[in-house]
Amino acid sequence: MSADTSFAKRSNRAAILFLSPALLFVFAFVAYPVAYAGWLSLFRWDGASMPVFLGAGNFVRLAGDAIFWQALIRNILVALSAIVLQVFLALAIAYCLVRIVPAFSRIFLFFYLVPVMVSEICIGLLWRFMYNPYFGLVNAGLSAIGLGGLKRGWLGESETAFTAVVVVMSFTYLGLYVLLFVAAVRNVPESVYEAAEIDGAGDFRKFFSITVPMVWDAVRANSLLAIIGSLKTFSLVFVLTNGGPNHASEVVSTYLYKMGFGSFEMGYAAAIGFAQMVLTALGAWIAFRYMKRIGAGAGAWS
Amino acid sequence: MRLKRLLIAGAAAALAAMPASAGELSFWHAYAGQQDKVEFIDFALGEFAKAHPEVKLEVVAAEQSAYKTKLNTAMASGNPPDVFYTLPGGFLNAFVKGGQMYALDEELARDGWRDSFLESAVSQTSKDGHTYAVPVDVDSVVFWYDKARFAENGWTVPKTYEELLALAEKVKGEGLVPFSLGNKDSWPATFWFQYLEMRLKGSGVVSAFVNGDPDATLGAEATKAMEKLAELAKQEYFPIGFNGMSDQEANMLFLNGQAAMMLNGTWQIGASADAPEGFELGYFAFPAVAGGAGDQSDVLAGVAASFGVSQKAENKADAVTLLKFLTSREVMTKYVELRKTMVTVKDATTETAAGPVLYDISNKLMKAAGHLDPFYDTAMPPAATNIYYTSLQGVLDGSLPPADAAKRIEDALRAK
Repeated sequence: MSADTSFAKRSNRAAILFLSPALLFVFAFVAYPVAYAGWLSLFRWDGASMPVFLGAGNFVRLAGDAIFWQALIRNILVALSAIVLQVFLALAIAYCLVRIVPAFSRIFLFFYLVPVMVSEICIGLLWRFMYNPYFGLVNAGLSAIGLGGLKRGWLGESETAFTAVVVVMSFTYLGLYVLLFVAAVRNVPESVYEAAEIDGAGDFRKFFSITVPMVWDAVRANSLLAIIGSLKTFSLVFVLTNGGPNHASEVVSTYLYKMGFGSFEMGYAAAIGFAQMVLTALGAWIAFRYMKRIGAGAGAWS
Repeated sequence: MRLKRLLIAGAAAALAAMPASAGELSFWHAYAGQQDKVEFIDFALGEFAKAHPEVKLEVVAAEQSAYKTKLNTAMASGNPPDVFYTLPGGFLNAFVKGGQMYALDEELARDGWRDSFLESAVSQTSKDGHTYAVPVDVDSVVFWYDKARFAENGWTVPKTYEELLALAEKVKGEGLVPFSLGNKDSWPATFWFQYLEMRLKGSGVVSAFVNGDPDATLGAEATKAMEKLAELAKQEYFPIGFNGMSDQEANMLFLNGQAAMMLNGTWQIGASADAPEGFELGYFAFPAVAGGAGDQSDVLAGVAASFGVSQKAENKADAVTLLKFLTSREVMTKYVELRKTMVTVKDATTETAAGPVLYDISNKLMKAAGHLDPFYDTAMPPAATNIYYTSLQGVLDGSLPPADAAKRIEDALRAK
């Protein structure tokens, strides 16, 4: 018994020793900045003069700031689009790659992954060229198929700017989810599909009644990834439209950046960042809980 | 999170760059990235090392947009460099308000240093009668066009705003874009608003707000200027999707000949360096607006950069020596030659160094101007600039009524 406890103690000590570098980094680069941002959000500070204590002033202002709420709604729209256009589309593609054209799955997978491997800034700049109203590929393509009337200044008009950005986001991250789902779909036992085929199930039926429920855990994890990524998205919006025109494609992170490093309202920017963190955590938690319930339901049906 | 990390990184960089003992100076500048900037600073610092071997410089360079954040962070963390490059206007005033800038009044009064600068330039780096930085270069805004193109089509340079609109209509009739504009980063459209406001109401409107003049107002003219701007966009005189295009993309349209004119700063001379064969860059002043209360000869021209000394600098004598050297006529003439930009030091913008177009602007247009009005967006406090930018995008986009935009900007300027 005593030998056991001393072993436990010893291994505890070793575990703490091995974990300490990571803990140190987490503290220095996560815990401390978060706490500091929380503290800073109570002040008005232009970065140069002495901070002025405001109490909850920044949060009161935030609550009444229409631009912030519109930006947040856009973040939520990005998240919803990500679940449909990234996660579920990726699952469908993964099914096709694994079940329908397995011979080409590797080469297709490679192409889907290219945008994931390129930096977001480069993707953004490439798409800026594609969207250029005068020599861009998008307008040229529309003319080529006889839809010249649909030509727009995609990134520069408030009606289209946000949609144009969402398209780029979906294109960029789709490959990542395809990769993750291919692994999950491959793990579904062949025998289940064989049984379904004997019963005369087609690809649609197999996809919805076998693949989706069998990989539901992966769907849940990937949706969570997509939601978190969407709520803090920054670089693509920043490069493509900088949140413009007149906040038409503003998301929370670009608004934070503008307030912090455009207006030098550091305290208010910290308040935005703090609110964003809390809302992201909350959103992720709700989504996770909700999908768990659906998952349990789906399991019961199948 | 991202913000905090940037702050920490910046603070760490500031700490690393700080140790300045006697005979040592830390010097931060933003002459990085672009070839002409690097050439200039290498020349200037090389010459300084030869002339003053007793002063050791600890030089930190950053690219313009990153520099602003970097300097702000260093100032905020209480570890400012001794001598540094800074933008005039709202950016500098924030440091002045925080008591971080050393007033150079005494040194400027000595040996005619102050008289070596254009007075209008020094006033842009002064606040409440004290000068906190020495101005370096001046940019002014004019209409640019391709002379060869205009001659070929029989277009003539407009003298009045009506003529400008008539010309725009003619250009549009040819299937071309009259005015190139890439307003993604919002500053290019400010020139249009500011010139219209200057012509309609007069110069010094925003400066009055910044100087705390209780009678300061944009006036009903601001709404009128915004209406004219909205009209230009509605008539499709700007490129398609201009609010999403960058200034470089707009410049491409201009140099390719897809757009006929461009309202832009004197940096357009450098930006037109790789224009296609046969392109002949010319300029004309913003035309007179009939019935406008402003002096119709006024020019939008502002100090683009300046050098200041930190209040905390231990070695102010050496710091001033460095500033005097950088703003000497020899160094500044080299600046004009390398960067094709006008400078604030009198007689340094020589014809040989500047080239014919820039020399003409400096010697004729600017000399004949009733007033030189500094850029609104840099003169304003940063928070107001942000609102100014988005309001202009909204008016051009048709999503914000002109009167609301004018009110938003006026309110932002009044807020303290």
